[in-house]
Amino acid sequence: MFWIQAFVKIALIVGVLVNMAAILLWVERKQSAMMQDRIGPNRAAIEVGGVRIRAAGLVHSIADGIKMIWKEDWEPVGGDRLLYRLAPIIALVPPLCLFAVIPFAPTLHVDHLRDLYDPAWAADPNDHSIPMRITTLDVGLLYIFAVAGAGVIGAALAGWSSNNKFSLLGGLRAASQMVSYEVAMGLSLVGSFMIYQSVQPADMITWQMQHCWGIFVQPLAFVLFATAAIAETKRVPFDVPEGESEVVAGYFTEYAGLKFGMFASGELVEVCTSSALLTVVFLGGWQFPFVQNSGFEFHYLGLDISWHWAHFIVVLVGLLSFVLKVAGLIFLQLQIRWTLPRFRYDQIMMLGWRILLPAALLNVLLTGMGILFYNGLSTTGGGTP
Amino acid sequence: MPSFKLDDREIPFEKGDTIIKAAWRLGIEIPHYCWHPGLSVAANCRMCLVEIEPPPGGRAMMLDIMKWDADKNDWVPDRKPKLQPACQVQATDNMVVRSTSSKAAVEARAHVQEFLLVNHPVDCPICDQAGECKLQDYWMSEARTTKRMRDEPVHKPKGVVFGDTIVYDAERCITCTRCIRVCDEVIGDHMLDLRERGNKNEVVLAQGRKLEGDYTLMTEHVCPVGALTSSHFRFKARVWTLKETPTVCPGCATGCNLWIDVDTREGRAYRNRPRDNEAVNRFWACDDGMMTYLREHDGRVLKARLGRDGVREDVKRDAALDRAAEVLSKAPKGKVAVLLGAQFSTEDNFVAAALAKALGAGLYLTAKPAWRADKILRNADQNPNRAGALAAANGARVGSLADLLAAAAEGKVQAIVGLGADADVDANALAPLSRIADVVLALSHEGPLARYATVVLPAASWVEAEGSFVNAKGVAQGFKRALSPKGDAAPAWELLAGLGRAMNLDLSYTKLREVRAALLAQVPAAHPDHAPATSAATDAKASAGA
Amino acid sequence: MTATTKVLRKPRRTLAEQSYLLEVVKGLGVTLKHFFKGTGQLVSGNKPSPVTDPYADGCATLEYPDEKRPYAQRWRGVHRLTHRDDGSPRCVACLCCSTACPAQCIYIKPAEYPEGDKRRGYERYPEEFVIDELRCIFCGFCVEACPCDAIRMDTGVHMTAFDLRSDFVYDKDQLMSHVGQDGTQKSANTRHEPGDPTHPGITRLHGGH
Repeated sequence: MFWIQAFVKIALIVGVLVNMAAILLWVERKQSAMMQDRIGPNRAAIEVGGVRIRAAGLVHSIADGIKMIWKEDWEPVGGDRLLYRLAPIIALVPPLCLFAVIPFAPTLHVDHLRDLYDPAWAADPNDHSIPMRITTLDVGLLYIFAVAGAGVIGAALAGWSSNNKFSLLGGLRAASQMVSYEVAMGLSLVGSFMIYQSVQPADMITWQMQHCWGIFVQPLAFVLFATAAIAETKRVPFDVPEGESEVVAGYFTEYAGLKFGMFASGELVEVCTSSALLTVVFLGGWQFPFVQNSGFEFHYLGLDISWHWAHFIVVLVGLLSFVLKVAGLIFLQLQIRWTLPRFRYDQIMMLGWRILLPAALLNVLLTGMGILFYNGLSTTGGGTP
Repeated sequence: MPSFKLDDREIPFEKGDTIIKAAWRLGIEIPHYCWHPGLSVAANCRMCLVEIEPPPGGRAMMLDIMKWDADKNDWVPDRKPKLQPACQVQATDNMVVRSTSSKAAVEARAHVQEFLLVNHPVDCPICDQAGECKLQDYWMSEARTTKRMRDEPVHKPKGVVFGDTIVYDAERCITCTRCIRVCDEVIGDHMLDLRERGNKNEVVLAQGRKLEGDYTLMTEHVCPVGALTSSHFRFKARVWTLKETPTVCPGCATGCNLWIDVDTREGRAYRNRPRDNEAVNRFWACDDGMMTYLREHDGRVLKARLGRDGVREDVKRDAALDRAAEVLSKAPKGKVAVLLGAQFSTEDNFVAAALAKALGAGLYLTAKPAWRADKILRNADQNPNRAGALAAANGARVGSLADLLAAAAEGKVQAIVGLGADADVDANALAPLSRIADVVLALSHEGPLARYATVVLPAASWVEAEGSFVNAKGVAQGFKRALSPKGDAAPAWELLAGLGRAMNLDLSYTKLREVRAALLAQVPAAHPDHAPATSAATDAKASAGA
Repeated sequence: MTATTKVLRKPRRTLAEQSYLLEVVKGLGVTLKHFFKGTGQLVSGNKPSPVTDPYADGCATLEYPDEKRPYAQRWRGVHRLTHRDDGSPRCVACLCCSTACPAQCIYIKPAEYPEGDKRRGYERYPEEFVIDELRCIFCGFCVEACPCDAIRMDTGVHMTAFDLRSDFVYDKDQLMSHVGQDGTQKSANTRHEPGDPTHPGITRLHGGH
């Protein structure tokens, strides 16, 4: 039963993510078109019985997929064949794997779909429940840093195995940029770990449900993490690994067809993953404002509203809320990608090492001081956190 | 040396020279249509009119004319000097001639130019002469006036076929009679005639005749306008896309100097034109010589191949060279024959002779058979470089192809290496060659010997390689490369030198310069000292369309 | 008049600008404004017409093959070969255009009119006239070079996209099938037909000859 569940969830998530790449391709094109006073893609069509279905340009993603499949699968002469073929896989798989530990809805208790939530369910050994995440690891979010680090290898290998100077330069740029920002990214979350007292995503969400969203207690960390996450995706404004006038297309200069498609969709999956991470750590995960396990609860400003929902509705609202938050963050990321001009390479390095890293350390320091101060308050009889 | 003054320049002349000829020797061109240095004087185009000042103490010859006075709005009496054609007036010592410095002469030329164009169809876009037409050139340099005649020009026959080689357009014709004079004076056959007068004047075929013989293309060559066009070049290309390169006719032992006009973009030769050389061909070339440019494309060997008869195989040049070196190294010493080629340049033959010396081999000559000769230019020997090939042997005995066949029949020759596939014996007599196991030939063209070759190396043609020919009179003349070698071809001397090196023989030539230096040291007479050979008095450019 | 000096101070960045964050938000504001305006126009369907109102705010895309802006007469589009009255090409295969062409995209094979044709001997014609539109840089030199007004680029048609490279190589029939912006296939060359016994029109009156 456990394995079946796991497989179903893996298939579901990987399926959604891979399709999200195609959809995001359309979103990106359409969104950038709207921002730039254009129409965007709208010509590709599927003809069914004389009716041309254009689906507002969505068909272009299908056309792209077909094109990539049928393109000549050219390989550079003199490159390292094995590594050359391995690189796109290494670039695509880690972003997909990241989702393994991310909870996207509250745990579903199958036996109590229509009941009001009771904390005793979780303690009941005979209870049938489906945790809405692929797996729970003891290392929690540390797993994400470990796996995300593997993505560097894909870019570096691609640059190395293409037997092309531009590819090599692009690969080096990508590798150094990703490594640099991984440091700042990791450190920026330390403050959150300190506050949540856990590295488990589920615990983080619980803390945020009980107190407030992470963004309010860790605003600096949110900005730092978001910046570093965008840099990790290697998209504008941090897209120095590719540059027509300097290094052509960077480490995927020599890639064509589906191999190139894997790099491109890897980027878009990374956008999804980083948005999901931001949601979990800073935006309360699947928690909808004022919705607790039992339903809608509003006990502020002198009001005292309780609106209890059946358990499955709460889970559904949680799922929807998670999807909405991720979608919003993706929108924001795309908006940033089409708004900001790109950095120079030295500026990226400076931003990573001389601004983000000290700021992350400062954030740790401030958080620690804050916690000490707050704990001091609470031991002397202060309010609630 | 007596001299006269043309404008501000002192012009020396030989006794009997006309003004225009003395100036032409110095490369000064007095505009002209009907005069040609190789033809008699007709003085009918009136383009070369000059003003000649009276001798000291003499009276200027003046004409009474009426001149339009714009102020009085009437004609007024005036005088102007009597102009004389520079092509007809013989130069005398201390004569003072005014051409460009004479207002009357300049004016007269502009009017003559306008007059010649009165009935001209101005169909330059259609005309093959466009780009090298004297009417265009002189309109730009002398006239630049608009046409004042508003009537429809006189229409005359167009596209008249004069013979297999020439098409005539009477509307473009200025009836300078150069073509008629070429027939009469150079060819010695009155094939063309003139009929009617004035604006109905046109060139026609003489009664019952047709333009034929070996020099018909010379009528087109001397035509200063687009009236006569040669059917082989007609509509093929525009002259401004062609690049001219000095070459020597490979057609016979006369060694006529030619220009070869090629389009380097297509790598294609389009025509030959005679190149002036008083010592060899004067201004002329025969029809067969003019058509030799076709040899650049017809019957070429462009790929190396191995095997004879049915089992031929195209290979890379280097593979063929290796194979040739291998079989020749195995051949018994003293039983190798080296072929010189009378169709190949002296440099090619010189390296072949050097190869023979290094191999200790006997020398033989491949050549084309004799052909029809005449007293004008054509030599009975169809080979441009028999003398050069023999000279390149540098005293060594050179047998004929018949000698080689006899030696082969006796089994004295077991391997052959050399230049050319031409045979001056009957093709059936070549049978003994099939007994020879290894025949290595460097070929630019296919020929009777090619079917007996076991290894064929593709050689560059005379258009594709620099070199020199020695003509029947012993004049060595160089020619330049006009196109890059086609296919896998390389200069024959390079192939043979490479073959020698592959056999570890002492043949160090890698540049033409080195071959030429060795040639100069050993056979100075065959060295093209002045390549390309041109007559000193002739400025090639100025006389190209003279 | 005395020279006046205007001192321009080098603009300095304020702390807010230096911090970059605020500027990012401002920039996002600008793009968001456009985003919502564009989305609104597209969803509601009242986007300004790029043909009649090309400078209006909002979406400026011209959907080319469906919507077309009128072109200037001298606008250079795909080539056409103009016709004579009898429908044969004006071109006399003089090769001036292929000479002038900097991209060397024009290939012409000139030929003589067949025996019996009234133009035989007077003119030649292009047996083949091929333009490789992929190589063409649309400079218009061929039109300038043409002495007969036989080639024109006034079709008002853009180079279209094809799947095969060979489709971009236009032959004589294709080029002669193109129509000018004015709807005709004629040229301004009024030179009379050669071999025409009536010789209508003395065109050199207004020519420079």
